[in-house]
Amino acid sequence: MSLTSRWGQRVLALCLIGLFLLPVIMGLAGTLLPAFGLTPELAPGNGFAQLLADPRFLPALSFSVFTGIVSTVLILAMTLLTLVCVHGTRWWSWLSALMPPVLAVPHAALAIGLIFLLAPSGELVRLISPGLSGWERPPQSWIVPDSVGWSLIIGLVIKETPFLLLAAVSQLSALNVSASLRIGRTLGYAPARCWSRLILPRLYPRIRLTLLIILAFNLTVVDMAILLGPGNPPTLAVMLMSLVNDPGSRAAASAGAVLLGALVALCFLGMMLVEWVVARIAARRRQSGERGHGVKLFRRLGMGAVVMILIASMSSLLLLLLWSFARRWRFPDALPSQWTLSNWTSRSDMLLQPAMTTLLIAVTVTILSLLSAIIWLEFERRSIVPRIDGIWFVPLLIPQVSLLFGWQAVTLWAGMDGHWWSVVYTHWLYTLPYVILILAVAWRELAPQWGQAAHVLGAGYWRVLWHIRLPLLRRPLCQASAVAVAVSVAQYLPTLLMGAGRHSTLATELVTSFGGVDRRVIAALAVLQSLLPLMAFVLALIYPVWHSARVARESGPSLSRAPDR
Amino acid sequence: MSIPELPSSELPVDESQARKPCSTAEKLARPIVNFLGQCVPGCLPELLQTRQQARLQTTALPRTRRTAARTLHFLAGALLLTSALPSFAVEPDSDWNEVLQEARGQTVYFNAWGGSDRINGYLGWVGERLKAEHDITLEHVKVADIAEVVGQLEAAKLVGRDENGNVDLMWINGENFASLKRGGLLWGSFAENLPNARLLKDSASMQLDFSVPVEGLESPWGGAQLVFIHDTDTVPEPPRSAQALLDFVQNDGRFAYPAPPAFHGTTFVKQLLIELVAGSDAEAALSMPVEESDFASVSAPLWDYLDALHPQLRGAGKSWPTSGEMTRQLLDDGELDIAISFNPNEASAAVRGGQLPESVRTYVFDKGTIGNTHFVSIPWNASAPAAAMVVADFLISPEAQARKADPQYWGEPTVLDLQQLGDEDRSLFEAVDLGVWALPIGAGKVLPEPHASWAQALEAAWLERYGQ
Repeated sequence: MSLTSRWGQRVLALCLIGLFLLPVIMGLAGTLLPAFGLTPELAPGNGFAQLLADPRFLPALSFSVFTGIVSTVLILAMTLLTLVCVHGTRWWSWLSALMPPVLAVPHAALAIGLIFLLAPSGELVRLISPGLSGWERPPQSWIVPDSVGWSLIIGLVIKETPFLLLAAVSQLSALNVSASLRIGRTLGYAPARCWSRLILPRLYPRIRLTLLIILAFNLTVVDMAILLGPGNPPTLAVMLMSLVNDPGSRAAASAGAVLLGALVALCFLGMMLVEWVVARIAARRRQSGERGHGVKLFRRLGMGAVVMILIASMSSLLLLLLWSFARRWRFPDALPSQWTLSNWTSRSDMLLQPAMTTLLIAVTVTILSLLSAIIWLEFERRSIVPRIDGIWFVPLLIPQVSLLFGWQAVTLWAGMDGHWWSVVYTHWLYTLPYVILILAVAWRELAPQWGQAAHVLGAGYWRVLWHIRLPLLRRPLCQASAVAVAVSVAQYLPTLLMGAGRHSTLATELVTSFGGVDRRVIAALAVLQSLLPLMAFVLALIYPVWHSARVARESGPSLSRAPDR
Repeated sequence: MSIPELPSSELPVDESQARKPCSTAEKLARPIVNFLGQCVPGCLPELLQTRQQARLQTTALPRTRRTAARTLHFLAGALLLTSALPSFAVEPDSDWNEVLQEARGQTVYFNAWGGSDRINGYLGWVGERLKAEHDITLEHVKVADIAEVVGQLEAAKLVGRDENGNVDLMWINGENFASLKRGGLLWGSFAENLPNARLLKDSASMQLDFSVPVEGLESPWGGAQLVFIHDTDTVPEPPRSAQALLDFVQNDGRFAYPAPPAFHGTTFVKQLLIELVAGSDAEAALSMPVEESDFASVSAPLWDYLDALHPQLRGAGKSWPTSGEMTRQLLDDGELDIAISFNPNEASAAVRGGQLPESVRTYVFDKGTIGNTHFVSIPWNASAPAAAMVVADFLISPEAQARKADPQYWGEPTVLDLQQLGDEDRSLFEAVDLGVWALPIGAGKVLPEPHASWAQALEAAWLERYGQ
């Protein structure tokens, strides 16, 4: 059978990587060519000139840069503060347990929940009105979304800090933090100094890539910017979205997408520069020998920051749930005055159809990503393909707008726009990196002896894979599936651009109908969108536990200590 | 392992397929032939060409220009090619029975603004009725702004996609209709062929859509008027003119309108312009194409007015509501005092649905507000024009229009002439209870829309001034 021959496997691996890189390469080409006027029939005119002549361009650009950079800096600061202040305390395990579900809440749902929380007529003001604040009507001193961009920045910080924190936590185990802290403390350094002198210099290079992904995301996000941005000026990415569907402006949209890509690259360089400067200063300060002293206030501050992030996202979710069961809920009531189920029952057509589409796409994408990741990692383990971790990051580092405008143009040319499989394919492109990177760690750590022992006992390759390797990797497989579901459910731009409006998922439905559709139904939609990934995470948590309990029960005491990673 | 074989005579045959002039095999083959016709000649780097393709190229197909676009087209197409083309035989003036017959079993992609859940719910009901009555599947493709779809159709025209389009029916009027008509992107003069068309009102706005002749290219669906909703508890006497509105916001009144090009925003700006130039020489210019007048001088009073208005708005002219519906929600929240709607009965529906307090009322400016008719139309490359015609006809049936007039479901004024209806049909309309919250019938003078070209000019000028 050709599949088992080494050559056949190489071809299969090549196909896989080809499928993965095809949308990237074609997408970039499909963006670059129209931008430089090389496809006059599809995108007439000089894109860059058109774009520069657009009065919205410069304000949009500076707005994007401002929100993108400020939010990224805040995210990094929050993460470091949390690590320094909370690591090693009794809150730490609570925090690590709460992070994944917070991470799983999709952007659009979180953004809408935040609006319900922070608006002048939102829950925060309702809680203190009119009793404490004296406000009979909503205050007029601020609005959400505001014109400066703070709403968007808050949204991004709340959404992305858990991501960076989780990435940092996963790296801490490799750094032997407690030993470093012990040494530092023994030498008389304050805890914060131990972190900044001993741990951060080693931790930062390990989370740099995640930080870059976050920076690229913050600079180019579309769905959150539509919901939390002021709309005037829009962020550059949102402005490009409004250009891309106008055939007269396709060149300008492509040119903008190229510029956005360049902007991200420029910001990457800027970050490297800042990093270099900071590293030099830090190196000098490390030799100063100052011990410093612990500041309790600082510690409280760090604690407060992270608790606020968690509370904000949790209460946003709760508010979505409340609104979805509200019939009448006027300002300043803290709770709905009349309740109803009809937001769920009478609008079930509006909820069910996108929920089913979302679920179907998410499940298909998850299965495909798991399969491709397993195939790739098995090939890698057997040295059929080299280790190329860098490749998987590529789609995450290129702004979605820059890649997908071109990819949409390509599918349009091919007459494939609006096809369900193009949506799934594009979701797969954004899901596979996470799945493969999560699984790779476990795959490489798994001791080969289990498989070897089975081989010695006469089991073939497939049998070893099916009965030994995959069961041993049950837990990471479950986690990867949950992440895949969460990533797919949250995808807005790929669904919108590839689906040509024909495949409305919860994400596209939420963003396009927000502001127009009844807020209570929007809340129900957002609850559904959050529920899908949360359920996936809960299942991923429960299933391995339940399974090992069952195995232990069935096989009696002798095997109950079977390894289960 | 053996699989029992069916005798070929027992194979299930889909009768609707068999009736069609185009066989399944032909359907499957056509896209491939079309596709090769479009892509193969001259588009491949020599290295990639197989002998078969080379033969195709030399014998059957003319050589076309080699462009980067076509290379991309081919590579992506080769990878993703699947779908099949339907066949269509009906013409805009075909015999109605023929239309009904071909429509059976078809799916209609109806691209319509999806920003109102009540309208979405109404269309859900329309879909159920069509499925039951005509075996037509109605897919409501919800769009944020139908202008996007106009853009997509123009793009499809550019790349020569003249068949198997993504849109079968679309909800349009005004400048979108004008640009589709100008671009030759409409299917044909089908509207007068619809059986229910004889029940329609005889009204100028159904013959001239924003001063552009309709000529049967689109079929009326509903009529609407710009109205304002206020809460009598907080604002007992709302401002009833542009000038009064300015005084109102300068005295701490809470107001904001959706930023153009959002539909309600553009309409509100047009309303202001009509009112501000009324009585001057510029008034006549509004009913003619914008190119024929001095836009800057005609619109000057509008910009002066908006310059004064914007700093006093909620959001200070920097952050805007995204839609008319959002102003309604902000009215309920107390963040705004006045909401904008394009449906005289919206407040009734909202009060009954628990979205507004019972103290709200609907009103218009003393000198009247803009009203218009909106339509549905079929693009030239529709996949299922027959079924789209049946849908358009059902939308103007007394049954569908009466339900649409009921605030419980949608609550929009009908386009039918109630005098033409039979007693039974008329009683459907008489049973509708509008409630005190809606605009009293006959209370608001209706002003005609400016010429279609003004909307785009105003939107562009607005964006240039305030979009930064």
